[in-house]
Amino acid sequence: MAELVDSASHMAQPQGRPGVNLGRWIAAAGRRHSLPILLLLLLGFVAPLLTIIGFSFMPPRTFSLWQWPSLENYRVIIEETFYTSFLWSLGMAVVTVAILIAICYPVAYGLAKTFGRWSNLVTLLMVLPLFVSENVRLYGWVLFFIKGGVLLGTIKSLFGIELDSILFKPGTIIFGMVYVYLPFMLFPMTLGVSMVPRDLVDAAKDLGASRLQIFREVELPLAMPGIVIGSLLTFVLAVGAIAEAKVLGGQSVIPVTHDIEIAFTYAQNWPLGAGISVMLILIVGALVLAVLRRFDLDRILGRR
Amino acid sequence: MTMRYSRRQMLKTAGAGALALTAGSALGRQAWAARESELNILCWEGYNSAQVLDPFRQSKSATVKAESLTNDPTMINRLRAGETNVWDLINVNNPWARKIMYPEKLIKPLDRAHFEPYFAKMLPEFKPPYRWAMSDDGKELLGMCQRFGPYSFVVNTDKVSRATAEDQGWDLWNDASNAGKYGVLESDDWNVFNICLISGFDPFRPHTDDEVTKFTDTAKRVFKGAKVVGDIATMNQALISGEINFHMTGGTYSASPARADGNANIRGVTPKKGPMPGGKGGVSWIEVTSTVNNPQLSPLATQFLEYVQDPKVAHTVAFAEGTFNPVAQMANPDCFKLFTKEELDAIQWDSLEEEMAASIEYDIVPDYDKLLDIMTAAKREASGG
Repeated sequence: MAELVDSASHMAQPQGRPGVNLGRWIAAAGRRHSLPILLLLLLGFVAPLLTIIGFSFMPPRTFSLWQWPSLENYRVIIEETFYTSFLWSLGMAVVTVAILIAICYPVAYGLAKTFGRWSNLVTLLMVLPLFVSENVRLYGWVLFFIKGGVLLGTIKSLFGIELDSILFKPGTIIFGMVYVYLPFMLFPMTLGVSMVPRDLVDAAKDLGASRLQIFREVELPLAMPGIVIGSLLTFVLAVGAIAEAKVLGGQSVIPVTHDIEIAFTYAQNWPLGAGISVMLILIVGALVLAVLRRFDLDRILGRR
Repeated sequence: MTMRYSRRQMLKTAGAGALALTAGSALGRQAWAARESELNILCWEGYNSAQVLDPFRQSKSATVKAESLTNDPTMINRLRAGETNVWDLINVNNPWARKIMYPEKLIKPLDRAHFEPYFAKMLPEFKPPYRWAMSDDGKELLGMCQRFGPYSFVVNTDKVSRATAEDQGWDLWNDASNAGKYGVLESDDWNVFNICLISGFDPFRPHTDDEVTKFTDTAKRVFKGAKVVGDIATMNQALISGEINFHMTGGTYSASPARADGNANIRGVTPKKGPMPGGKGGVSWIEVTSTVNNPQLSPLATQFLEYVQDPKVAHTVAFAEGTFNPVAQMANPDCFKLFTKEELDAIQWDSLEEEMAASIEYDIVPDYDKLLDIMTAAKREASGG
C-alpha cells in the first residue's frame, strides 16, 4: 500500500502541459478515492461556511448575496452589547469544562484502573442518556427543580421547609451543560488515563514519590492528551449550547447562539446573524488553535 | 461463498445502474411537473398533525408533507429564500398575506367565486369580503380563515383575579411590586406589541422618538423583572407550579393546553382598556392560509383548503395536537355540536366574543425592526440579572 501511495505521489509532480498534469494529478489513486469525501466536505461544510461569510458582509436585513459588501454588521456587533452574550457563552463554557474535568477525572480513573468488571456497567449508565433527546432530558430536570416539583415538593412535604426556586438561574444552566456534556469529557479522558502505564506509577512509588507527586508528575502529564481532547470537545459544544439556557435558564442568560437565532428568525436579519456566527467561529477557532499550539497534536493523537 | 465478478459483468451492472438512474430522474422530473399526488404545507402546529392530514392523504392517495414553525417571520423567510417552488400552502397570521406576501408575489390569489361562499358560513366577524383575507385593493381573495383567538396575557386566577387583570390590564407590568412574579413567552414579535402597550401607546403605527425612548426603558424594566422567558410548555408549567403568577404574551392559544388538562385557573385575559383605537387594549390573531406562488402549484392545495372547511375536519383542526383554538367554522351548528363542554371551556368559549370585541387584530408594526433590536438588546442586558 505504501508503494502505491508513493507511486501516486510521484505521478502528482507537475510536468508538461498543465491540462494533462491536472488530469494526472486528479487521476492519482489516493486523490481519486478521496474525491467523494472531498466533494461532500466542499458541499456540506465549505459551501455553507462561505455562504455565511458572504452574508455577513451584506447590508443588514437583506436576503441576497449579490449586493455591495458592507462592514455594517460587524460595526453593529462591536458597538452594541453583543459582547455580553459572547462573554456569557465563553464564560459558561469555561466553567462547564472546569467542572467536568473535576468531576470526570475520578470517574475516568475508576473506569480505566479500578472498577474492573463494573466498568462496563458504569460506561453503559453514562452512555444511556445519549439515547434520549437532549430537550426531553432538560424538561425532565425542569420537573425535578421546579417549585413544588420532585426536589422542592419532596423537601416541603417531608420537612415542611419551603425553599426558594432554583430554576431559571445561571447556576442551573451550568448544571444542565455539565449534565449534557459529561460523556463527551468522560470518554476521551478515560482513554487518556488508560494510557498511563502502571509500571511507571509503580516505579515512581518504589522511588519514594508521594501519591500527590505521582498524580502531578506522572499520571496527569501522561493522561493530558485525553484531558485536552475532552476539554476541547466539551468547550466547543458548550459554546454552541442554547437549549440549556432556554429550558433550564428561562433565558435569564442570553448566550450568543440565542442572538444568532433571533437574528435569523424574528429579526429577519440574516446578515447580522451571519456576522455573529462568523465572529463566534473566529473566537472559538482562535482559542482552540491557541490551546493546540501549546500541545503537540501528533503526540496527543499518539502518532509519535 | 466467494463471488467472482468479471470486469464485463461489472460494466454491465454499472450500465444498468446508470440507465435506471437516468430513467429515475426523468420520471422524477415528470412527477415534479405533474405534482398531482403531492402537497407541501408550511404551517403553524396543528395542520401538520396526523389527525388532520391522514384522512386527506388516504382520500387523495397523496403524499402530504407539512412542516410546522412557531413564528410568522421565519415562515415568510423560507419563501423569501426561494422555497416558493417547494411549498403549496402557507398558513400564517392575518397581516402577512395582505401586507407582505402578496405584494412580494410570494402567494397567489384564490378563485374568489369558489371560496368566498365559505366565509358566509363562518362566525359573523368573518363576513365576506373579510378584510384580512383580501388584497389591499379589495379585489383578490388571498387566503382562507380558520383558527383565531385573543392573545394578550395569561393569569393564574388563584393569584390574580380575572377582574383585577382585566381592569389593571398592561399596568400589571408597570407595578413594581410584580417584579419577579411574571414570565414572558418567547414570542418576540408579539412582545414588541406588548411592550408598546405597557408603555402606553399603540404598537401598530409609527412611533416618535419620545415613544421609542419610553419603549427602551419599558423593555429594560420588563425583562429585568421577568422570572422566566420560555415557550408555552414552560409558561404553563411555571403558572401551575406557582413559579409565576402571570405571563405575556398569551391567550386562548397558549393557555388552552393547561386548561384542557384541568387547570381552569389558568386563563387568557383581554384588558378592558388600552391605548389602541377605540380605547382597546387587547390584540387578536386570525390565521390566513394561502396558496404559494409555486410555478408548479399542486392541484391538491385548493382541495386541501376546501377539505379543512368541513365541520368535522374544522373541529379536528381546533383540537389538533399542541394547542387548542376556536375556529371560524363554529358558526356552523354541524361543527359547533362536535365541541364538548370541556373543549369549550378549554378555549374559553364563554368569553370569546367579548374578548375579540375588546381586541384589535394583530398588524405589522411599521418600525418593528428598530423596536425588536431595542427589545433584544434589553433582553441581553437583563442577562444574568
